Parts: sequence; structure tokens; C-alpha cells
Amino acid sequence: MIDVVFLLIIFFMTTARFARLTRAEIDLPIEKGEQYEAPDEAGLIINITREGAIIVSDRTVDLRRLEEIVHQEIRRSPDRPPRQLKMLIRADRDADSARLNQVVTMLRSLGVGSARLATQVP
Amino acid sequence: MRIQRKPSRRRPRSITLNLASMIDVTFLLLMYFMVTMVLAQPEDRLSPSLQTRADSAAGPAADFQPQIVEVLLVDGTPAYRLGTEIFRSKRELLAALHHLYMPAGLFVKVSDGVPVGFAAAAIQAARDAGFEQVTYVPDE
Repeated sequence: MIDVVFLLIIFFMTTARFARLTRAEIDLPIEKGEQYEAPDEAGLIINITREGAIIVSDRTVDLRRLEEIVHQEIRRSPDRPPRQLKMLIRADRDADSARLNQVVTMLRSLGVGSARLATQVP
Repeated sequence: MRIQRKPSRRRPRSITLNLASMIDVTFLLLMYFMVTMVLAQPEDRLSPSLQTRADSAAGPAADFQPQIVEVLLVDGTPAYRLGTEIFRSKRELLAALHHLYMPAGLFVKVSDGVPVGFAAAAIQAARDAGFEQVTYVPDE
């Protein structure tokens, strides 16, 4: 019984911390998405709030800083071309697309080939 | 006379650890983490839909005229434009997309000022219609 309780505590501790670091509180677009059975690697997660703020790893950054972060991400895996980098954009459904367009344009200028848009399953 | 001591009947002392308080603490910790846990909504992703290189998602049939869905503001409200037709709902757009040529792929061009939810809806409609190559084109 105690073993089970300890396991539960460890589970709650790790999941709570992980969620806080990567997921900002954002109302994602309500779409069913691709519905792949096996979730692939998340990679860099870029959060865009309703007000247009960009949040990466629990920190608000501007577009220039985001560009540096993506640069670092590209340098971290030199054997993998930027085109294959995994990016996940979590944008608020009510956010202005102008911010999303800026981010996508910046990613394209760095040679990032694809990005994924997170959705909330209805 | 020799007095012989009786062998002690007392059992050897065994060291026991009272775990009652530890269990209390453990349960309190469990309660704390359960209460403070933020229940995350299940998420999915539109994975190939934000392909950023316009030249990479044109599909095998590059000779075809690109098929473009524009997500834009019409009279101040978000709408979808396919050719000359304007659609106000995702359902109408989806019905129209079924008539397009799938292997040619689809470009989703999103104008500034439109909520992201409508951009995602257009991408989702394209995926639901059966397009494998869906390219996100930012308004520059």
C-alpha cells in the first residue's frame, strides 16, 4: 500500500513539474487534430498567448530572443538538418494570427522546415 | 548451597519502527499533490500542417495551379475564401474542399488580424477533406 502511495506521489510530482515548465495556460483551438496513435517527439514548444506574448520554457521572450533559442536548438543537433527540427506551436485560439505569422516567418528564415500547431481535443 | 538462576523468560527485545506517523505524512503529501495538480486537457496536433517552406509542400503535381484557401477578415468577421467563393463556416469550407484535386496539395494563407482558431479550423478542414500536403502560408 505504501509502495503504491509513494509511486502516486512521484507521479504527481513529476507530471506537475513537467506540465508547468512546458505548457503555459492557453486556450488552444478546439480541433481533433491528426489523431496519431503514437505521439512523436515534442521538441521545442513555443507558446503564444491571447495577448500575443511568446512563452518558451515558462519565460516570456520577444521574437529576437526566440530566434536565438531556435538557433541554439539547431546547433544542439548538428547532424540533423534544420528542416527536420520538431517545433510545436501552442497558440491561443483567440490570439491574432499576426503573431503566429511572425513566428512562422522567422522559423522559415532559419530553414526550419515544419512546425506543428497544437489543438485541444473536443 | 548454590542458587541457580532461572533462565529469563523474557523474550529478546525486537526493534520495531512505528510507521504510523510516516503513513500520515505520506497521505498528506499525496493529498497535496492531488489537490494542486492541474488537470491538463488532452491535446493533439496538426502535425504537417505548418510546413513553412512554400516550395516543399506543393505536392508531386507542381504543374497544377496552386490551390489556396485564404483565411481573412471579410466585413470585420473571419471567413474562408477559396477562389472567388467566400465561406463563413468550417463546414461549408469542408464541403467545397472535397471537390478539389487532393494530390496537388493545399495552401492555407492566413491574414493578420484573424484569430488563430480560424486558421487551425481551415487546416483541420483540409486534413479532414483528405489533403496530405497542407502548407501554412503566413501573410507577409
